[in-house]
Amino acid sequence: MTRLSLRNPLLTPEQISESPSQRQGMLLELETYLRAYGCHLIDAVGIILRVPQVVMASAQIMFQRFYYLAAFQDFSLRGTVLGTLFLACKVEENPQTIRNIINSLDIVISRDRGYPEVVTDGYDAEFYDLKNEMVISEMQILRKLGFNVQVELPYGLLVNYLRSLELTEHPSVPQLAWNYLNDLLRTPVYVCFQPETIACGAIYLAAHESQVRLPESPPWWVIFDANGEDVVQVAKAIQAMYLHDLPRIMPLDGAELVLHLSGTLSEHQRHPGSWIKGFDI
Amino acid sequence: MDKYQKIEKLGEGTYGIVYKAQNRETHEVVALKRIRLDNEEEGVPCTAIREISLLKELKHPNIVGLFDVLHTEKKLTLVFEFMDSDLKKFIDGYGGDLDPLTVKHLMYQLLCGIAYCHRNRVLHRDLKPQNLLINKRGDLKLGDFGLARAFGIPVRSYSHEVVTLWYRAPDVLMGSRQYDTSIDIWSIGCIFAEMSTGLPFLAGTSIEMQILQIFRILGTPIDPLAPKAQPPPSLDSPHIAGNHRLFEVDKAAYAQRLWPSCSQLPEWKTNFPAFRPIPLEPLLPKLSASGIDLLKRLLTYEPQKRISAEEALLHPYFEELRVLNSTNNLPIS
Repeated sequence: MTRLSLRNPLLTPEQISESPSQRQGMLLELETYLRAYGCHLIDAVGIILRVPQVVMASAQIMFQRFYYLAAFQDFSLRGTVLGTLFLACKVEENPQTIRNIINSLDIVISRDRGYPEVVTDGYDAEFYDLKNEMVISEMQILRKLGFNVQVELPYGLLVNYLRSLELTEHPSVPQLAWNYLNDLLRTPVYVCFQPETIACGAIYLAAHESQVRLPESPPWWVIFDANGEDVVQVAKAIQAMYLHDLPRIMPLDGAELVLHLSGTLSEHQRHPGSWIKGFDI
Repeated sequence: MDKYQKIEKLGEGTYGIVYKAQNRETHEVVALKRIRLDNEEEGVPCTAIREISLLKELKHPNIVGLFDVLHTEKKLTLVFEFMDSDLKKFIDGYGGDLDPLTVKHLMYQLLCGIAYCHRNRVLHRDLKPQNLLINKRGDLKLGDFGLARAFGIPVRSYSHEVVTLWYRAPDVLMGSRQYDTSIDIWSIGCIFAEMSTGLPFLAGTSIEMQILQIFRILGTPIDPLAPKAQPPPSLDSPHIAGNHRLFEVDKAAYAQRLWPSCSQLPEWKTNFPAFRPIPLEPLLPKLSASGIDLLKRLLTYEPQKRISAEEALLHPYFEELRVLNSTNNLPIS
């Protein structure tokens, strides 16, 4: 019998060492921000749509996977945000209309960029362009991911692990660890480690921050099928994630990326509505 | 697309036409399922995403193989292992009269396939004879993993053909959204009975009728936790009055109907008629005593108490296959 088959596909060391965007000359720092910003958009749109958290989490992980198989220079962040959300809603059985997803993204981006709240009529050319971009992106994502859109999340494991460590009632550890799992979705951690390891990493840091001592001999994570080095790496990734604030204005597509690299994006973004068509104003 | 030469149209699936075709190079015969991508509001159909993403990971002798996915401008083509028939046609082909050993072989394979799915945390959710594929060698394979459209279990398919309710678990029929592997087990119970008689076992025409049909045969469930629950039978009750045989019969019938918290289900009605269970043996004359016992375990009301696929495979009903297997050295599936 084959091994448990529907595990999350993890990156190979080569894939981690140089992403497609980096191969085309993007700096790791910018890529990290783009990943985080894309996931922030997914999260914020999900909140407006009132879909369960599992939908946002799945979309964010697909988003992370996708940009290890494709470059930001070739596939617009905006399209991928729309496509992964569209897909995750279907996979997690919470279908949303194309219109709802696009309008919600419009609200989030306008808010981030400080545009006045304008209710779009939803029947203009921009809407149809976006709809087209979304449907094409969905297919691109499916092709690049080889239809690997089932995502395994660590939340259930976290609850079980906390219970067996008798930490369920602790005043800070469960909440901290849960928050870490949410915030980690903005990083590539979910495509580098299996859910068991991620859950352990979150508990490791949460316990450390709350000055809770956990069994050391043998180390507590051993029974959860995690490896100590990996657990520490996840914990370090969580700490590193909180070092920088997320910028609210990030390039949404290739055209904006060029503006961003020349340092002029923040000037252009002041024209309301202009994010949609990539600045041919 | 030139890789395959179409041979004939096999039928229409949930979301497209299915063809029999041959690989021009290897001459391998396959089934092609064509999915049109021209629905502007939907993008790639949910059913297709689910079917492809699951089937490409599930590799088992009792699950239909997905060999390839071809993508062209306006359509997606899934290349499947070719299977000659399905269980529905197979049963009809024998005039509904399958011999008991064949039923046992098919049941064993069905349970192996679903046990594998469940081990991998996959629910099929749409098990029915039409979705169980059979080839000339008598291999049975689970097919059509395309369910899970819209809201969990669909009531209508794309073509507005009503999806059959006959294999649907009572907890789902009464609105439970917390279903798990036990819903597939219920379907397998219904299919088991159908193989044994040649006719659908619980054939309702609407959700309400389906629920009543189940109750009529297995008895109306009793919620022991409900405030005005029917008490368990006692030797003192007037119609039993010390008759031990009657008491045992009543106790068994009562136990069969027990389903804690069933009255909490969204569609539970306090005025459901109170049916007593009827004996299954006369309904399924060709099924052995151990077969009846297995069927009862598959069709247990309380989802948590329903037998699992793994447990069912170890049931005495399959002992005959184990004996045959050890004497003939034939593979059982």
